[in-house]
Amino acid sequence: MKTPRLIALGLTLALGTAAAQQPVELQFWTWYLSPKFDNYIKSTIDAFQKANPGITVKWFDKQDSMVQDFISSVNLGGAPDVINLNIDETAKAAQNGFLRDVGSLTPMATLTATYYPQSIKNFSTGGKVYGYPWYGWLNEGVMLYNPDLFKKAGVTRVPRTTSELLTLAKTVKDKTGAYAWVPALKDPNTASFLGYFYAEGLPIYDASGKAAFNTAQHAALLQQYVNLYKGGYIPEDAIRREAFQVATELYAQNRVALIVGGPQALTRIKDANPGLYGKTQVTEAPLGKAGVQTGGSMDLVVPTASKHPAEAAKLAAFFTNNANQIAFAKVVPVVPTTRAAQTDALFKAGGTDPIAKATGLVGASGRYINPGYAAPTNSDDLYKNLNDNIEAALLGKKTAQVALNDAVAYWNANMKK
Amino acid sequence: MRASWRDTLLSYAFLAPAIILLGLFTFYPLAYGTFLGFTQYDGARFAQGLGPKWVGLDNFRALIADPLFLTSLWNSVRYLLVVPLLQLASLAVAVLVNRELPAMPFFRAAYYVPVITTITATAVMWDWIYNKEGTLNWVLSGLHLLPQGAAFGWLNNEQTAFWAVMLVTFWRGFGYYMVLYLAGLQSIPAELEEAARLDGASSWQRFWRITVPMMRPTILLCSLLSTIAALRVLEEPLVLTQGGPLNSTYTALMYVYSKAFQGFNFDYGLASAAGLVVAVVALLLSLANFRLFRDSTGEQA
Repeated sequence: MKTPRLIALGLTLALGTAAAQQPVELQFWTWYLSPKFDNYIKSTIDAFQKANPGITVKWFDKQDSMVQDFISSVNLGGAPDVINLNIDETAKAAQNGFLRDVGSLTPMATLTATYYPQSIKNFSTGGKVYGYPWYGWLNEGVMLYNPDLFKKAGVTRVPRTTSELLTLAKTVKDKTGAYAWVPALKDPNTASFLGYFYAEGLPIYDASGKAAFNTAQHAALLQQYVNLYKGGYIPEDAIRREAFQVATELYAQNRVALIVGGPQALTRIKDANPGLYGKTQVTEAPLGKAGVQTGGSMDLVVPTASKHPAEAAKLAAFFTNNANQIAFAKVVPVVPTTRAAQTDALFKAGGTDPIAKATGLVGASGRYINPGYAAPTNSDDLYKNLNDNIEAALLGKKTAQVALNDAVAYWNANMKK
Repeated sequence: MRASWRDTLLSYAFLAPAIILLGLFTFYPLAYGTFLGFTQYDGARFAQGLGPKWVGLDNFRALIADPLFLTSLWNSVRYLLVVPLLQLASLAVAVLVNRELPAMPFFRAAYYVPVITTITATAVMWDWIYNKEGTLNWVLSGLHLLPQGAAFGWLNNEQTAFWAVMLVTFWRGFGYYMVLYLAGLQSIPAELEEAARLDGASSWQRFWRITVPMMRPTILLCSLLSTIAALRVLEEPLVLTQGGPLNSTYTALMYVYSKAFQGFNFDYGLASAAGLVVAVVALLLSLANFRLFRDSTGEQA
């Protein structure tokens, strides 16, 4: 009797070992990172594979069709193991049950020791964490400006608050013909205006979770933007195109005096108008009354449909660890989301080069990355409705108060419970 | 008898690949899409591995109650205004380039270039034209048709954006229909024209008495194709205006696209129902086209 048992035990052990040694192939999807960052991604994958023999990573860079491709792959039984999403998309995917709770794959203590608390919060839905925070950016990270246009407009002091910035918009346009800046009014697939409310210390939701961005103060803030738009102080295209694109194009043509945002705008200006890039001054960005920053971030998520969640979690944690986030920040001026980044020597270098200066100013500020509002359920419909109402106010079809009242009513009627 | 059976089988064998492909890629999606229109099938059900849930006419009720859908459908129906313009212009130009002159191959190719230009390049180019500081305002100001300081972004204004986008559709589609008409014109027997010319018919008479009647099948085909294309216009408003301003360029297909493919909240049920409504409108308009192009004897074109 002993012999068969021993044979069975031996077989079980052998099979178990074989299973443990079974090579695993992970599918890794990034979003709009190829071909510009091919070297960085490939070298990081190589380092991961070296550190984890038996795991190979197959990398795909997805662009426009990321979500559709993901849904198709789930349908066909070949879901990717690690995907790169942003805050909003992570919330939507998690709300619909597409993602694994990261806390079940990596101990919470490790997560909280690695990433800023706000970064973890950005990727949390319903009390669970659904993403490993990756690189980020700050909407009010830095202010870069054209000193010649400031001089022509008689501006001797850079704006320090949003209120000063709104006043400056008139001065610069009236005296130079150039726009002062291009605010994000109606970016597709998100709700820029909610960030403005948050920055001014105005609430987005009330205590019960209902939309509440229609007080008289909210309306007064929107009205300021409406007045600027109607007065021709904001480029018309800002209601149709992404503000960042309009701003970088016009800045390079000396038609916009300043850009509030991340250092990535400087990379574009350097390519488009090197002379103006050399002159460009970089300083801290003006903040709203709340004195807070807003911003966005990317993460790496593990889909529920992944067949290798443990290995996928390893890859996601590896890509988003401090060393690899800092290495990415050396390639492109992104803001790391790891706690250790704030003391990194990279962000203390300073210097006179605009990009280096901007990177130094924002690079260690990952703890401030916060969109200012949690994505509601059914967010695509709700964002569209809010943007439509903001547009109606800007084009004079509704008063600011009515536009916000209508949006709040729609939100509260259509947020899925 | 045996040979006849073999022939029959052989015929079906030849037909089989086409029937299978049509079944897989046309009839099955059509039937499944129709079924989905009567179901609830969204991101949450999909992620949980649940299939579509029958909800009867709920999606259609939701569509009727959604002002955005009604606006988008109205915009799509209004978009049909491009059809007669497109057909008249492409037929007229096809007649013009249907001559054996040395420069004609160049013109035929030049008119076809917009058809094969990518939508991204098209969007960038028309953006330059329609911009507040763009070439259209510059030309109009130069001709004193636009007063000083009255320049505006043609795509940022709800009065003009719809027509501006439609012009881009016209520009993109024009060459395609011109080539179809050209093929139709070249199939008209030369003897007919010759005989009419000998009988003393003017070019105008030849056009109305010979060209138009002989071209009736091509006209019907082009009208049907452009009617369906106009109803499902998506790319131009999507890249030029994203449906704005104030949803003035938001079309029914944009609605379907946003419901079916936007984010993880997608709603295949509602999107399929909206697609069905558009398909029914297209079907009705196609029937109207058939009636319109019936000749005076009642014979179908």
